[in-house]
Amino acid sequence: MTYAIEVEKLRKEFKSYSSRSGLIGAFRDLFTRNYKIIRAVDDISFKVKQGEMVGYIGENGAGKSTTIKMLTGILTPTSGKVIVNGMNPHKEREKFVQTIGVVFGQRSQLWWDIAVQESFRLLKKVYRVSDRDYKEHMEHVIETLDIGPLLDKPVRKLSLGQRMRCELAAALIHNPPLLFLDEPTIGLDVLVKLKIRQFLKEINEKYNTTILLTTHDMSDIEALCERVIMLDEGKIIYDGSLQKLKQNWGEGKQIQFQFRHEVTKEQLISLTNDLNVKWEAGEQSHSWIAHVRAQDMAEVIGKVVAAYEIKDINIRETSTEEIIRNIYEEGIVHG
Amino acid sequence: MFYISIFFQYMSQYLKTKLQYRADLLVEFLSDLMFQAVNLIFILVVFGHTQMLHGWTRDEIIFIYGFFLVPFSVFASFFNIWDFNERYIVRGEMDRVLTRPVHSLFQIILERMELESLLGGVTGLIIMAYAGSRLHLAFHWYDVFIFILFVLGGTLVYAGIFISLATISFWSDARSSIMPMMYNIGNYGRYPVDIYNRVIRYILTWVLPFAFVGVYPSAYFLGKKEWYVYSFLTPVMGIVFFMIAIFLWNAGVKRYRGAGN
Repeated sequence: MTYAIEVEKLRKEFKSYSSRSGLIGAFRDLFTRNYKIIRAVDDISFKVKQGEMVGYIGENGAGKSTTIKMLTGILTPTSGKVIVNGMNPHKEREKFVQTIGVVFGQRSQLWWDIAVQESFRLLKKVYRVSDRDYKEHMEHVIETLDIGPLLDKPVRKLSLGQRMRCELAAALIHNPPLLFLDEPTIGLDVLVKLKIRQFLKEINEKYNTTILLTTHDMSDIEALCERVIMLDEGKIIYDGSLQKLKQNWGEGKQIQFQFRHEVTKEQLISLTNDLNVKWEAGEQSHSWIAHVRAQDMAEVIGKVVAAYEIKDINIRETSTEEIIRNIYEEGIVHG
Repeated sequence: MFYISIFFQYMSQYLKTKLQYRADLLVEFLSDLMFQAVNLIFILVVFGHTQMLHGWTRDEIIFIYGFFLVPFSVFASFFNIWDFNERYIVRGEMDRVLTRPVHSLFQIILERMELESLLGGVTGLIIMAYAGSRLHLAFHWYDVFIFILFVLGGTLVYAGIFISLATISFWSDARSSIMPMMYNIGNYGRYPVDIYNRVIRYILTWVLPFAFVGVYPSAYFLGKKEWYVYSFLTPVMGIVFFMIAIFLWNAGVKRYRGAGN
């Protein structure tokens, strides 16, 4: 079995210096500096099979982008082994990047001043794509992403959503077997997001393209990825199916009570102290959220409704976003 | 072969971009032309006051200046990397460059091309023709090729020095004012080096060999036999300094840290 991505004990350290405060501190910095080694990625190992769609998630500064940059050959790892598409990314960079597509949500691949199709043409030359392959493959891409009418407009005149779709098409000009997407849906509206997800699913099915995706939008991950890799402070804290993560963490329900009058947390706790309930203040005044197990739900509602006057009740499943937040708060993944 | 075809692709893309803004193009062309005209008059006025300088006549000095403008304009059109730190390191554009299957330095050179600077070379040729006719210089048919060779050599010297300076950004991301300073030092290469003190002459020949952009190659066309060795070293120095720059660049790319996002 060959893997699209094989990473073993990968580590990246950055040397940075912290400046002292004040004018005197600035003078002291001139002579001696406090260097600190920061480990952005800390001995991570994972493997990704060809055709998998993997969500790579973590908070800001968890090391997601650094990992992606090592996997794409932009950064040289401090230590560890990276094999992507059977090559060492930073050693054979020019040959390697021919086999990957990269989209950085916050950075444009396209030339700002020229029409989109001119950018495509230039990239087609850069990636040495033959006219036949280009026509066969890109016609489909352009149609699915619905960017035909945009092709003759300069990039600077496009909206963010239009530009993003063009970026995606540009990353696929050479039809790479592996696609890296770093926050591809950042700042996009729901319709564009849906279109992009649909498209990613399609190329994954059609060409068996491996996709590694980082995002802060959990709905992207839910819609696309069966597997998630979760990162915290440079370490992998979870690697497995999204389904299992939800089962282990999201079995409870949330009930939001909107009370008519002021109610204190102590009152609520004493009311439900024989059940396993966690109370949390809601966003509006007089509102409290109860985290309960599914089997206790009816009893909790019954007790609260009997004791206090209620304006509104809302019952929700724990969302993936909340699951993730809970995991980060606790730091590790059980089970 | 691939690189040549890519070169022309970028060049045509560059022209398309320029042609998109018609009014802008016209204004730019006119202002460039005016700038060159002022430059030309300025040189003639300034050098009008000097008759002899350490054994060099006024016309010879003007000739050297004219020659200097040619490799300098080629350098300015294709190696526009003075804002490399700002543009590619701080703003992180280097990330994008590194995900494309073409050598990173080559891509940056192509992206930052500014062909209008070539106009300065035309001014240089006019100055050379003016000074040359007054000096009654005799040219052979092969001088054209030697001229091209020397211009390329001078361009590579310039490029080598400035690329090497740009690679500092890979090691330290602090902004530095070394680039403008170096542009100033570069100007010393257009005067006869023997007017300088020995240390400065040594530096301009072997450390920051700007003399190979102006005086040394022009000495050949002026028939100064005592400088011929240096003249023919021009392409050699160009290649050596350019190789050093490429080597530093490749080492620097390995150290690239990227910009956070």
